[in-house]
Amino acid sequence: MLELIFILPMLTGLVTLAVPPYLGRGVLLVTAILHFQLTIMAWLGKLPVYAERFFSETPEGMLVLLVTSFIFLCIACYSMRYMEETGLSNGTVFPGCMLLFLGTMSMVTLADHPIVLWIAIEATTLVSAPLIFLHHSKEALEATWKYVLICSVGIALALLGCFFITLSIDIAEIEISLSFTFLNQVATQLDPMWLKVGFIFVVIGFGTKMGLAPMHTWLPDAHSQAPCPASALLSGALLNCAFLGIYKVHTVMYLAGLGEFSGNILIGFGLLSMFVAGVFILRQPDYKRLLAYSSIENMGIIAFGVGIGGFALYGAILHMIHHSLIKSSLFLSAGNIHLGFDTKIINRIGGLIKYFPKTFLSFFAGFVGISGLPPFGIFISELFILIGAFQTGHPVSAILFMLSMLLVLAGAAQIFTNMSFGVREHEVLVRENVLRIVPPYILLLASITLCVWMPSAMYTAIMNTIKIIGGTIHG
Amino acid sequence: MKNINDMIMVVILLSVLLSLASSRLITLIKIMAVQGFLVSLLPLLLEHHSSMGSGGLIFFQVMILTKGILIPVLLYVALKRIAIQREIEPIIGYHASLFAGLIIILLSVFITDRLHLAVPSGQELILTTAITTMSAGFFLMMGRKKAITQVIGYLMLENGIFLIGTALIKHFHTVYMVEFGLLLDLLVGVMVMGIILHNINHAFDDIDTDLLNRLKD
Repeated sequence: MLELIFILPMLTGLVTLAVPPYLGRGVLLVTAILHFQLTIMAWLGKLPVYAERFFSETPEGMLVLLVTSFIFLCIACYSMRYMEETGLSNGTVFPGCMLLFLGTMSMVTLADHPIVLWIAIEATTLVSAPLIFLHHSKEALEATWKYVLICSVGIALALLGCFFITLSIDIAEIEISLSFTFLNQVATQLDPMWLKVGFIFVVIGFGTKMGLAPMHTWLPDAHSQAPCPASALLSGALLNCAFLGIYKVHTVMYLAGLGEFSGNILIGFGLLSMFVAGVFILRQPDYKRLLAYSSIENMGIIAFGVGIGGFALYGAILHMIHHSLIKSSLFLSAGNIHLGFDTKIINRIGGLIKYFPKTFLSFFAGFVGISGLPPFGIFISELFILIGAFQTGHPVSAILFMLSMLLVLAGAAQIFTNMSFGVREHEVLVRENVLRIVPPYILLLASITLCVWMPSAMYTAIMNTIKIIGGTIHG
Repeated sequence: MKNINDMIMVVILLSVLLSLASSRLITLIKIMAVQGFLVSLLPLLLEHHSSMGSGGLIFFQVMILTKGILIPVLLYVALKRIAIQREIEPIIGYHASLFAGLIIILLSVFITDRLHLAVPSGQELILTTAITTMSAGFFLMMGRKKAITQVIGYLMLENGIFLIGTALIKHFHTVYMVEFGLLLDLLVGVMVMGIILHNINHAFDDIDTDLLNRLKD
C-alpha cells in the first residue's frame, strides 16, 4: 500500500533511536534504498492507496516524493563516512531524526486532506529540530529556538487558513468530505471571500516554512547550524514540501476563478524573496549562510514562476527539481570543505583547487548550476520562467526578476572564485574521501541528464501537474 | 445550556486578561491549565456537536487530559528545572498589557460584528473569544522576553485557532483521527520546546531571548 512510503521510514526512525548507535548507519542506508525502491514502485503504479480519505497519488506530490527520495539516497551514502568523521555515529539522534524527517516529508507529498498535510508539515519541523541542534553550541541553540518557534507560529496560521477554506465549503452549503481532490471538483461553488482569506493565511503559514521573505529569518540560521547532510535535506527537500502546500491551495484558487488574485500574491512574495536574498548574498561572510540565502532566492523564483503561470509554470516545476538536486549537491560539497578546513568563514578559505581538487570540481560546478548557467537545468527553467513572464504581460516583473538574478550572480561569483582560486595556506584536517565525493557528483549529473533526457513518466507527471492550472509548453 | 457556554467563554476571556497581567510564571502555567481545560470542554457543550459518537467522546477526553493536565505539567517541569520565577523587565509593562488586552477584546467584538457569519444563536460570543485569545497569544509572544512565556503565548495562539475551528466548522468535517494528529503535534511541539528551553538555560544561565543574538547578518 502507498502509505508504506512514509510508514517505513517513520518506524525505522523510531527503532533507530532505540537500538545501539553502531547499527544506526546501516539502518539509515538500508531504509534509504528501500524508500527509493518503494517510490519507484509507486511511480510504476504498483502501490494502491489504502486510506483514500487522507492520501492520494497526485502528480505534483509524486514529483516531490521522487526528488526527496533520490536526494535522501545520495545524502545517506554521503553520511556513511561523514558520520564517522564527525563523531555523529556515536549517537542515534542523527540517523533516527533523518529517517523520521524523511518519513514526515513523504507524508506531506502524499497527503490529500488539508489538515493531514498540515499535521505532516508541522511534524517535519519537530523532527528536524534535533538535527539543527546536533552540535549543541550556543549558536545551534539559538538557531533551533528560532526555527521551532517561528515555524510553529507560521504553521499555526496555515491551520487557520485551512479552517477558513473549510468554512468556504460550509458557507456554500456543499456536502463533501474535506480533501483537495473534492475541493478541486467543487472549486467554482466555493465562497470566494473566505477562500481568499484562507489562501492568504496559507501562503503566510507555509511560506514561513518555505522561506519566502519576509518570513525567512529562521532559514539562514538553521541551514548554517545544522550538519551539512541535514542542511542538504532541509534545503533540497523540506522547502519543496512546504511549497507543495501552497501549490495545492493555489490550484484550488485557480479552479475557483481566483487564479489572478493568488498568482499576484505569489509573484509579490517571489520578487521580494529574490531581492532580499540578493542583498544579503552580496556581502555574506559565511558560505553556508550564502547557500541558505540562495535557497531563499530560488524559492522566490519558484513562487514567481507559479504565480505567472502558463509557460512559466513548467519552468517553475523544472526549477524546483533542479534546485533540489544542485543545492543539495552544493551543501554536501560545503560539508567536505567544512570538514577539511573547520571554518565556515569565507575569508579564511582559499585555494580550494589546490587542496581539494575533487571537491572544487563539484563545488564550482554547483555554483555554475545554481547561477543559472548551462549546461545545468536551472538555465532552462529560468529561461522558461522569463519567457513566460514576458508572454503573459508581466514585463516589469520580468525585468525585476533578471535584476535580482544578476545581483545574486555578482555576489556569489566573487565569493566562489575567492574560495576556489584565492591564495591561502591551510592545514587540511580531513582528506577527501570517495564516499563523500561521489554523491555530490551524482546529484549534479542527474541535473545535467534531466536536461537532455527526461523519462517520459516524469514528463507526463509534470504535464499533468501544470495542465490543471493552465500551464503549457506550447506558448 | 446557553448560560453555561457563555459562562465558560467569559472565564476564558478573563483568563486571557489575567495572563497578560501576571508576572509570576507559575501563575501563568496555572492559567494555561484552566484555559486549556475550558477550551477543550467548550465543543462538548456546543449544540452542533451534541450528536457525537463514541469516537468523539474519547477524543475530547484525550484533549482535556492533554491540554488541561499533560501540557501544563510539562511546562511546570520545565519551569522547575530552570528555577526562574518571574518575568522581569517585560518589553511591554503589565498595566500596558492589560490595557492592550481590553483593546484587543473591543477590536475582536468589532471584527466579529463585521464578519456577518451565521453562527448558531447563543454562540455569538465564541468568535470574539477566539479572536481575543489568538491575538493575546501573539501579544504575549512579542511583549515578553522569557522563552517560556513565548511558549505559553504559542499555546494561547493555538487555543484561539482551535476555538475558531470549533466555532466555524460544521460537525461532519470533523474526523477525529485527524484531530488526534493535531493534538499530537502540539504535545510533541511543547516537549521539543521544553527540551530546548532546558538547554538554553543550561548554556546561558537564563532563558532571556535577548541573549539569543549571536546569529546575525
